[in-house]
Amino acid sequence: MGRFAVRIGSAALAALCLLLPGAPARADSGTSFVFESTRIDFTHVVRKNGNVAIGADDPGFRTLLGALGANLTWKPGDRSVLIATAQPVIISFTVGETRYDVGTKALTASFAPFEQDAVPYVPLQELLGALDLAIVNDGGTRLLQPQLTDLDLSSSGGRTTLVARAAIALHARVVADDARQLTLAFDGVGSTLAGTKPVQAAGVSSLVVSVAGVPRAPTTLISLQLTPGAAHGVADTDDGRDFKIGLSGPMPLGGGPATTVAVTTPSPSPQPLASATPALQASASPAAIALVSAVAAQSDPAGVRIAVTVSGGASFEWHRLRDPDNRFWIDLHGAQLSMPPRDDALGDPVQTVRIRQLDPTTVRVALSLTGEKLVNVLPTATGIELDVATVDAPADAARIGTGSIGGAIPVVAEATPNPLDTSNWKFGPQAYVPANPRLIVIDPGHGGSDRGAIRNGVSEAALALDMANRLQAILVARGWEVTMTHTDDSDVYAPNDTARQELQARDDIANNAGARLLVSVHVNSFINAGPNGTTTYYAKPSDVALADAIRQRLAAGLATKDDGVVKSKFYIVLHALMPAALVETAFLSNPDDFAKLNSPQWRQHVAQAIADGIGDYAGAPPPAPNQ
Amino acid sequence: MTPRTPRRSQRVLVLVALLIVASALSWWVLSTRRSTPATGSLTVYYTKLDGTTEVPWPVSMRPRAAGESDASYVRETVKYAAVQAVAGPASDVQAIRFPPGTHVLAVDVTATTATVDLSREVEQQTGGSFGENGEFKALVYSLTSIGGIDAVQVKVVGRTLETLPGGHLALDGPLRRSDW
Repeated sequence: MGRFAVRIGSAALAALCLLLPGAPARADSGTSFVFESTRIDFTHVVRKNGNVAIGADDPGFRTLLGALGANLTWKPGDRSVLIATAQPVIISFTVGETRYDVGTKALTASFAPFEQDAVPYVPLQELLGALDLAIVNDGGTRLLQPQLTDLDLSSSGGRTTLVARAAIALHARVVADDARQLTLAFDGVGSTLAGTKPVQAAGVSSLVVSVAGVPRAPTTLISLQLTPGAAHGVADTDDGRDFKIGLSGPMPLGGGPATTVAVTTPSPSPQPLASATPALQASASPAAIALVSAVAAQSDPAGVRIAVTVSGGASFEWHRLRDPDNRFWIDLHGAQLSMPPRDDALGDPVQTVRIRQLDPTTVRVALSLTGEKLVNVLPTATGIELDVATVDAPADAARIGTGSIGGAIPVVAEATPNPLDTSNWKFGPQAYVPANPRLIVIDPGHGGSDRGAIRNGVSEAALALDMANRLQAILVARGWEVTMTHTDDSDVYAPNDTARQELQARDDIANNAGARLLVSVHVNSFINAGPNGTTTYYAKPSDVALADAIRQRLAAGLATKDDGVVKSKFYIVLHALMPAALVETAFLSNPDDFAKLNSPQWRQHVAQAIADGIGDYAGAPPPAPNQ
Repeated sequence: MTPRTPRRSQRVLVLVALLIVASALSWWVLSTRRSTPATGSLTVYYTKLDGTTEVPWPVSMRPRAAGESDASYVRETVKYAAVQAVAGPASDVQAIRFPPGTHVLAVDVTATTATVDLSREVEQQTGGSFGENGEFKALVYSLTSIGGIDAVQVKVVGRTLETLPGGHLALDGPLRRSDW
């Protein structure tokens, strides 16, 4: 029986957490986190030796454990704190002892748990690591990002089984399934297992793990390179939390006896505190993948030079679309991002630069240009440079090219794509290609026979329509094309239709038009006057950046309580193909909010803030075709 | 004194053997009952009035009955948790609550998905997404805290709705914790 094991486990992650930014100086700010869009404040904390200890009775901690399906038991007689995770793994701390256990692994904490007022306090960072949660810094917000920490690939009797486990229940999407590879995406989890691991297993020749998405909405991709004739079964689970799939097929050619390869996280030995995003560690192998670690832009009168830092060899392939769709992209094959995906807004001649992990072994750098500009692609000692000139490219300039950096053999795509085929313009398996990147769809919530919430004769439908109209005027003035799902107080589908018919009709308007983005404007309400504030909802990973950009402007521009960005399965956001957000501007049911909603000036502020958020997210509208 | 006959000795031996068998059976039944998982409590959740925070809330649950099948016990547990989640915590607790009168009509469990059929009153939402979001989040968190359940399909009076009337949440498929 061959057994390939990639086990990082809670132990190593706990060590990793020790390398992340240090313990907070004050409990009120340093112990606040966001876990799956929910802010969690740890209030029962004590600083000790520069680190933070958390009380077992901390409400935020209890909430976190509940969300993870974990249970805590305090046994005063034994001086032990036992946490049973949903998996289950037993995490065991003992008061007065630095040794603690995560499953079968014995580890050493930075300080010993202690008892205060009959409540046990345990080291926070070690605890979070043991729960498979990584602390990730996202623009000043500290996220508790669930981690996929355990991959187990076992092979026996011509059959291979892959089992993946994470801090939360795993749900896989199959994003590639052909004779050569099976790629699975796990939304909502990051991983420190990124890298390529050669495998000697029935039906599988290598395993590639990569992480895409943004810190708030990561996606871990697991790609299995299959041997000829390999087949796989359907996804399964043992306990409703892990992910399991069986494969069969021949062993990889040239393979000796089955091997065991282990990948671990960085050494737990002390290191300087560095980035809050764990470095990706790839196992050393002949097929080592190139790492893309930085992108920087430098302007001069002649144009913009964009330097992409790449360590290792990679081949590349670039494409340019014709005017008016002035976009340029370069795919680095055999490469992985070792930095977070980035979107940078520049100016002229490069409007935006985006860098993403396109698939497990391809990094895409994409530019939006202000015109059909001349672009030179220059391999360098440190990677590759894209020189974008302020002058236009000659009419006969090439629109596709290939090359290599770092000694890699250039690879030409098997099927040269049509440069005009905008389906190439995508990031990730679920990327959306707007047919009309100048178009924004605004949906005034409710309307017609559906009044939404009502207070003192004031309806949500009327307020939402007013704010949406104001938003439309601002966006049109800024050069966007805007389509309203309804321009007067009416149903979009039909009077007294079902909510689904109504919401899908609104999605259809945006989806059929290929809009750049969709924003739905609403007013909230509750059965009592207590709840108040402004909330921006999202549903899909692709919504996060838009929702967060809008929220930031709303929080800065309105005098309401900022209830943040919240994930929920709202129909209109979920079923929009493009990035979408639903804004609940304020509560009709709260007197203070109600007064604001009744103010035209305040509603104008709402429209202005949403428009500014859209601008932050999308930049300026691309030039019209006739410009 | 009458000497024992061989026949009488055989009867005694059979009696002793029967006693041993009965004792063994009794021991097995009792030990089996002791080893049956006897969950005495259940974690149910409610959503705080901040609209997002789920608060775990222990409720007592009858232990598994002797001989009760796994499927039956899980279904009963799901039903109990759903009833508790829809009823909400004590009235003095500040929580997002289902519309008054909402109750559980039926539950079913297929694989790892629990289906909860709610009464018509659940459609009487306040109009905002706030309550709707908090209500269903708490229901999903409550049911998925039960081992083996990772998704919740909502029905209203026996029908699967894409959304509630005038509502926001997509109910056209099972809800999971990862939806929030």
